[in-house]
Amino acid sequence: SAAARRPWKLYGAMCLLRLPRITQPLEKEEEEVAALMEQIELEKSHYSDHEIRKLEEEERLKRKRESLYDEDDAHGKAVIMAQDLEEKWEQKFLQFKAAPRITDADKSNDRTSLNRKLDSNLMLLVKQKIGNQELWLLPQVEWQPGETLRSTAERAMATFLGDHIQAKVLGNAPYGIYKYKFPKAIRIENNVGAKVFFFKAFLQSSDLSQAELKADYLWVTKKELGDYLKLEYLKKVNRFLLD
Amino acid sequence: PCRAQPKKKKKFDVKKEQAQKERMKKKLKKLEKAAPELIPIEDFITPLKYSESNRVRSLPTLSPEESERRVLLLKKWCLFKQKQDEAEKKAIKALVESQQEALKELRLESEELFQAAIRRDEGLFPFERDGPRYTPPLPGYDPPEGKCTDITKVYTQ
Repeated sequence: SAAARRPWKLYGAMCLLRLPRITQPLEKEEEEVAALMEQIELEKSHYSDHEIRKLEEEERLKRKRESLYDEDDAHGKAVIMAQDLEEKWEQKFLQFKAAPRITDADKSNDRTSLNRKLDSNLMLLVKQKIGNQELWLLPQVEWQPGETLRSTAERAMATFLGDHIQAKVLGNAPYGIYKYKFPKAIRIENNVGAKVFFFKAFLQSSDLSQAELKADYLWVTKKELGDYLKLEYLKKVNRFLLD
Repeated sequence: PCRAQPKKKKKFDVKKEQAQKERMKKKLKKLEKAAPELIPIEDFITPLKYSESNRVRSLPTLSPEESERRVLLLKKWCLFKQKQDEAEKKAIKALVESQQEALKELRLESEELFQAAIRRDEGLFPFERDGPRYTPPLPGYDPPEGKCTDITKVYTQ
């Protein structure tokens, strides 16, 4: 009687997100206002110790050139000017080379690498066989009686990425649902269709070298999902994904 | 005479000492009754050397075009932020709706799965996250060595 009341097959799917590693570039308005705020802050501020030292040394240099009497030689000690210090600091800064924001994977558009698009969220897509079609989907696995849907989703993640995945699942509740009916050819009384419940998780470790990937996989951003997912599925998935 | 004088000294001393002790105790009690002194917040007290007149910057005054440009830019910023806020709220609303729909369908399926789903997740909070930086971490970078001495003043009440 339980099966008659539940003609839907249940699947648990995991949407694994790799969070952004660098900040997104500023919009035009944001840059303009940031420049304005800096200007206003400069206007409202007072001179700092370093700037006062610089001004005094400039005055002293000017007086030295105008007058014939050298005051510093009379003291007989070497004076480090604030200007020299600034130049030294500038040199040291130029010697440092930061890692590039656009990586090699970005340039080659290698969608299987995690090092791509460091300023946006990346989602895991796997190629799975549903019925007799091979489709790109979020990793999903059928629910087995005796486990909660969250553990189904975690099992789905482990099936495709191995056990050594460190991911933080965001809560026990599903984030979205995709319901579909099987084509009439394989529809029986007890199996009208399937419901796929989506869960969200954040990838904690950035090192996936230990992962045993068993199928074709891709890491894509929200905008690129449209290239791979079917329309109805995409509509439901887009609802719970924040850009 | 030799015997009498040391005895007097002792009595006097004892009495004086007792009187002194009582005075000290009274002073201590008075101090304790008074409200404790407030710890000064060093961030809110500007040191006097920064209010000297030679510190004031000398910059050219703003032209009317410049102040006009500033006002218009701030108005544009206001609109930009409003649109951004609206978009965020819309996205959050869509997220919540999607979740409610999923829970409704789950309830239709099985009550026990539904109860398991709406249970509080204890391991979720406190949620920590290393925020995004401007450039990705440089592999094999050796930061320069240095020592940090803490010179904050500690006040006791």
